[in-house]
Amino acid sequence: MKFLDTSLSIIITESLTGSFNTITNIVLIVIPIMVIMQFVRDLNLLDKILGIFQPVCTFLGMRKRAVFPLLIGIVFGLAFGAGIIIQSVKEDKLSKKDIYLISVFLVLCHAVIEDTFIFVAIGVNGWILLGSRIFAAIVITLLVSIFYPKSEEVAAIEDIKTIS
Amino acid sequence: MVNVQQIFKRGLMNGLKTSWELIKIIVPVYFFVTFLKHTPALNYISKLISPFMELLGLSGESSIVLVMGYALNLYAALGAIASLTLSLKEITILAIMLSFAHSFFIETAVSKKFGISTSALTFLRFVSSIIAGFIANLLL
Repeated sequence: MKFLDTSLSIIITESLTGSFNTITNIVLIVIPIMVIMQFVRDLNLLDKILGIFQPVCTFLGMRKRAVFPLLIGIVFGLAFGAGIIIQSVKEDKLSKKDIYLISVFLVLCHAVIEDTFIFVAIGVNGWILLGSRIFAAIVITLLVSIFYPKSEEVAAIEDIKTIS
Repeated sequence: MVNVQQIFKRGLMNGLKTSWELIKIIVPVYFFVTFLKHTPALNYISKLISPFMELLGLSGESSIVLVMGYALNLYAALGAIASLTLSLKEITILAIMLSFAHSFFIETAVSKKFGISTSALTFLRFVSSIIAGFIANLLL
């Protein structure tokens, strides 16, 4: 039995041209996004956006101050969100329930701009992608929030502090 | 005042850095999957896993995309998608599934920093990924 169904040179040519095309498509999208995000970050546009989203936090069962780590995670990614959560915990700003809900939301829905656009680059409808992700994150976070044990709602956050 | 030019430059540098990170992942994966495609191996794995993949409206060979995405990251999955011949519906289902759950190893390490059970979070992601794929197949 022949191991390969074609010659090695054909496989290499196919890989080279194919990966080159894929990368050009992605780079054309990634670079403009990165430039835009840099402007959002450096011009502190985020502060202005934060206010609009505070009611969303309340709706999801979090306190208003959870809006910052939540939004950072949604836009820039898990690692950034985690960094800000750790910072906020140190400053006694978040309750255990807040952190729990933020985590649930963020693992399902983070870095939405980048993650969505890399699939848009290969022809997927970004609205379906983004919509399903946000919808699922909201529903699941709401469920967790509703069933979160009342007794733990005001629990101390010392155990989290020691981890960070 | 804010220096627009400098912000632009920094954004551009970030974009180039990210692009380079992507290239380092996508190219090897693309080579790997293209090579695999021309061996009997992918065919064999496809047949083995296709009954399950059918439930999600996917062909057996697209399982390699899920494996790449779950284990490595979205860019690796992208490399795999590009190197296979898949329909737009299949790609959309894969994209939805993978946007719910990807880069398990790295992101689990990150979510550890949240200070809550990572196994629960990982389980939540995996299950929602499968359910999302199932629903997407029904709706699309």
